[in-house]
Amino acid sequence: MKKLIFALGLIGILFTSCGDSPKKTEQVTDDKTTNSTAIAEKPLLALADFDSKAGNWINKEVQVKGIVDHVCKHGGKKLLLVNDKADVHVESEERFDDALVGSEILVTGIVKEFRVDEAYCLQKEEDHQQSHKDGTDSDEMYAKKMEQITFFRDSMKAAKVDHLSFYSLDYISHKVEKEAEEATEEKQENKE
Amino acid sequence: MKTLRKWSRILHRDIGYFFIGTTLIYALSGIALNHINDWNPNYSVEVNKFKTTIELNKDDNIKEHIKNLLQEVAPRAVYKKHYYPQKNLLKIFLKGGSSIVVNTVSGNGRAEFLKKRPVFYQSNFLHYNPHKWWMWFSDAFAGALILFAVTSFFMVKGPKGMRGRGGIYTALGFIVPLLFLYFLL
Repeated sequence: MKKLIFALGLIGILFTSCGDSPKKTEQVTDDKTTNSTAIAEKPLLALADFDSKAGNWINKEVQVKGIVDHVCKHGGKKLLLVNDKADVHVESEERFDDALVGSEILVTGIVKEFRVDEAYCLQKEEDHQQSHKDGTDSDEMYAKKMEQITFFRDSMKAAKVDHLSFYSLDYISHKVEKEAEEATEEKQENKE
Repeated sequence: MKTLRKWSRILHRDIGYFFIGTTLIYALSGIALNHINDWNPNYSVEVNKFKTTIELNKDDNIKEHIKNLLQEVAPRAVYKKHYYPQKNLLKIFLKGGSSIVVNTVSGNGRAEFLKKRPVFYQSNFLHYNPHKWWMWFSDAFAGALILFAVTSFFMVKGPKGMRGRGGIYTALGFIVPLLFLYFLL
């Protein structure tokens, strides 16, 4: 019995030695959840205009509203925000809740630019050839990846530019938008 | 040495008992997430194909029409949101992660109903460190695994211990990952 108490005591020590840190992290979590006052101060970009206007907001905070189409199943740290007209990828350092899928949310995030240029295409071409040679990529996959590079090159050529810019959002926080009807239902549920 | 052996056994056994549940959680979710490209480890997906005559083009009454469609193809489902990913394609989100996609011209549709996989969903949820407190607990578990490895050196004496069979197995256990590193890195 004494031995059991000793073993449990040891486990206890392991926990108490880390006791004060969670408070800090909870605070971080609180900051990450919605603070409507803070969110209200950020410029709101229409999702449909995101690709055309994001270039003016690189590395700056903006808000974008859309429906969560899906959360990446590999790690859950990316989601796709959509509406009838456009979509934007949102990336986070923490996992998104699966339950967000299908919800309309207002995301606050920092606009990030990803540039595709000839150097990128050459590097990717080399990587794909290597993966194909190693047997990691099937013939079909290899052909698909190479097609994408051709598409990038054709797009640059057609637009007469030396690079293509793709924009995404680095997640800061979000607020779930509720429709009037949904909010009324919840109020009624709470009353009951 | 005798005391060390005695305490190695006690700690290995009792802390081992304590972490049996956690070991199973990480083992199950580890296998589940290792094969994430081959299956959905959190949900089982039931796909129902259907054809509808309900008008689903974008107009002011679309929500009413969607409700009618749900009555037809998924009476128990709860509508969440919808949008048109393409001109003739409507995607309807349902509570619980399920969704329906309908071609508004042909009326052909596909409903994907998600159902949480019992045990796996919960294990995977914990595997992804949902909370800081769980992170500390799982750190303690990782510490305990190191302790199990260290105490196993001293637990058994003689030909079955580290100077005999135990030592050979331990060496093999190191060689396998080293071979992977040699060939893959």
